[in-house]
Order: sequence, then C-alpha cells, then structure tokens
Amino acid sequence: MGTRPVTIGRAPDNDIPIDNLAVSNYHARVYLEAGSLVVEDLNSLNGLFLNDIRVERAMLKDGDAILIGKHHILVDQAHDAALPVDGWRKPPVPRVNETMVLDTHERRKLLEMAAAAGERSQLSPERLRVPTLTVLQGRTDQKEYRISGKLTVIGHSKLATVRLRGWFTPDIAAQINKHEDGYYLGCGDRVPKINGIAIGGLTKLNDGDLIEVGRVRLNFLYRE
Amino acid sequence: MRIQTGARTDLGRVRKNNEDCFQMEPSLQLFVLSDGMGGEAHGEVASNLAVQTVITHCQQSENSRTTPIFGEAQPDVSERTNRLASAIHLANKKVFEMAAANPAQKGMGATIVAAWVEGQRLSVAHVGDSRVYLLRAGTLDQLTADHSLVAEKVRIGIMTPQEADASEMQSVLTRAVGTTAAVQVDSTEQMLLVGDTLLLCSDGLTRMVTDPEIASTLLTSTAAQEAADRLIELANDYGGVDNVSAIVLRVTQKSDGVLDRLKVWKRNSG
Repeated sequence: MGTRPVTIGRAPDNDIPIDNLAVSNYHARVYLEAGSLVVEDLNSLNGLFLNDIRVERAMLKDGDAILIGKHHILVDQAHDAALPVDGWRKPPVPRVNETMVLDTHERRKLLEMAAAAGERSQLSPERLRVPTLTVLQGRTDQKEYRISGKLTVIGHSKLATVRLRGWFTPDIAAQINKHEDGYYLGCGDRVPKINGIAIGGLTKLNDGDLIEVGRVRLNFLYRE
Repeated sequence: MRIQTGARTDLGRVRKNNEDCFQMEPSLQLFVLSDGMGGEAHGEVASNLAVQTVITHCQQSENSRTTPIFGEAQPDVSERTNRLASAIHLANKKVFEMAAANPAQKGMGATIVAAWVEGQRLSVAHVGDSRVYLLRAGTLDQLTADHSLVAEKVRIGIMTPQEADASEMQSVLTRAVGTTAAVQVDSTEQMLLVGDTLLLCSDGLTRMVTDPEIASTLLTSTAAQEAADRLIELANDYGGVDNVSAIVLRVTQKSDGVLDRLKVWKRNSG
C-alpha cells in the first residue's frame, strides 16, 4: 500500500480489477487512515465481507481476509516494507509544459492517420451502412428502428425512439449514443445486457449484438 | 428534477496564476468550465471571455428566437444542443479576434466544456481536453473525447492508454477555442435520471487523479460541494501541478418521494 487509496471492482480501470459478475463496478476501496489500513464498501450490490462478517467500513489487521464476490484478499502487514506495490499509481506526471495547440503541419499528419484508421472502422464511407434495431421479443411501437441521431432513447417516454409499452416500463430504460467510432449502449433506469452479459458503463455495440432491456430483446444490425 | 451544484477552482501547488474559470447559471441550468492557455495573464483573459460568451449567447437565445446561429448546425442533435455548440463557435470567434487585435495576446486560447439541462435532456458541447463525466448505476463514463494529441492517437490505435499517461506530449491539444478562425465543436446528448452525478473538470484534475478515485470520491460524498472540494484536495495532495477545477452536479427529485428513492436503489443494485 502506498498513500493512495486502492480500488477494487469489476471495471477494468480499478487498481485491483476482478472480472466477475458478482462484483460491482467499483466495489470497495482500501486506504490508509492514521497509519491503519481501512476497507470500505462503495455501495456494492453483494457487499463486502471481513472474516465472513458483512461490513460497510472496517479497520484491517494482519491476517484479515476480505471477501469480494468469490475472491479472498489477504491482509499481509508483515511484508509491507518489502513489497512496494505501486502499480496502481499514475505514472509520475511529466514536467509541466505550457499547454499548446498542434501546428498545422502536425495536425494534417494526424488527420491523415485518422483517415487511414477510419477506413478500417465500421463507420467508413465504403462500408456506409445504417444501424438498426430489430425487435425480437417484447412490446414496442414498431418492429424495426433505424438509428439516426447522436442519442437514441429506449423507454416508455414520449421522447424515446424505441417506445416500450407496458405499465411498469421506465421512461428511460436505456440509451444508445453515437460516438466517432461507433454506437455505445448505456444504462438508463435499467442495466441492459449485451449477448447475455450486463453492461458496466458505456459499451460499444457490434454488428449482430443481442440487446436485452427488461423483457424486450433487440437485435443490433448494420444494414446495407 | 432538481440539480444540486457544487464547484471549486484552485491554483494548484505549482502554478502562479489560475487560468481556469467556470460559471454556473442556475436559472438557465447552464454550466460552463474553461482552461486558458497563453502565458502571462492571457490564458485567464481567454478562458474568461470564452465562458462569458457562451453564457451570454445562450441567455440571448432564450430571450430571442432570432439570435443567429454560429457554425454549422448538426442534423443529428437537438436544436438546444446546436445552440450550445453555436455559443462555442462564437466564443472561438471572439477570443480569436481579440488575440488578433492585440499582438501581446497572440496565440492565447482555451479549452471549453459546457453542459445545458432542459427537462431531462442534457446537452454537452466541448473543445479541448476538459471533460464531462457521468456517474450512473455506480459506473463512471467519460461523455467527452479529449481533443489532445495523445487521446487522438489512442483513438486511432497508434498509442496505448498507458503510453498516453506517461507521455511528455499530454499538454498538446489538437483543438482549442480562439487559436484558429474557425473550430470544430463536438456535441452529444444524454437523458438524465434522478440519482445521476455529472462532473465537469479541467485536466488539472484528470492528470492527477485516476477515474476509479474520481468515482469513489463522487460515490462517497453526500453533498455536491463536498465532492468538488474533495476532488480538488486530492489533485493537490498528489502534487497539484496544474490549476484544477471541478463542477459537480447531482440530479435529485424535487419531492424525493419513496418511489424515486426505490428506483435509484434498484438501479444502483444492478
């Protein structure tokens, strides 16, 4: 442990990422407080257990076992000096340069590289295809939708592109955003699934993906 | 829906003047943050002018439907979002013209990031490497794509995020407000939900503090102002090499009824 808190969770940007569905995106963190290690639950779904007792926040001592999902993390204070684990730190920030803007020549070079990369991407003009959502199951106002705007809302709301029917359907169940490199599915009042797996934050959609929002199943397809 | 706000800007631990600047306009639900550049006091001039111009233009468009649109309107976003982008095009023009008229200010410019809420709809527009994040259902997503050399290289796939974090080129922007006669403005939209937290910040924060640390700070702060204060303190604790600014927006229900609290609880528990 260094002086910075260590985060544990399912999202890949955690200091200790755990790829398991029982683990919340940002599940817990461990930090130093007045010379002691403290573990804290970050409002996780399945909770944090210290020596098999559920805790919100607890001080740690040598030999303690933290349980997150099905993973045990052991507290080893005997070796703290010998194991400087600083891998989670941001690298030392390079010397502070004054902010500047790329000159015209450099920018042109970058744009050329971007154009070359674009030709390989799904949005390139050569492969210009229309993204669509086809309804496989569930109650919606249409059977197929073309996606055109930067924001596509799936829900009960009048503002929704994909309008879901049903009494307890949320206004904004999920949404799709158009980015430079494709379309991304994000949470609304529901955490949608892509190909059976609940998303953790904005997730890029690939041709043929199966989207589940509540009881509605949609097929994301690029059509000619 | 109601928005609870918290914000702070700080010199940091190294710089001698604060070129960051922000303004919140609660009557318009408009929030703008800018990071100036240009040495001497010119960065401050640029960021202040940019923020003021955006606020004034949006205010005018609310009062008069005939307010002209600057830049090219995009067909894939709402009128409101186009208006916000228009405000940034105008800010670019104003800063550029001021710099052109005053040789001492040559090359001054600024990043800008703006968030405008109308009902449930959030419009975001930006230029440069200041960011907007959305924390929802325990997950932190960056809604803006940095216009910096390293970020663009990562997006093209010729640089890894790790190389970008260690690069000496982090201060090189590919776009800025006021350095060229015209600028390309990026815009996006979201539908906001009760329980959402938005963060607008300058690179002084994101260069010092990792995304998981930002997420855990937002998750463990009760009030928006507390979250903003703690983020600034973190950046300073880690060295505070640059000016640092943060606007934190919490979306809450007016009545805070049981049903809404249940909804937030359900969403947060996956």
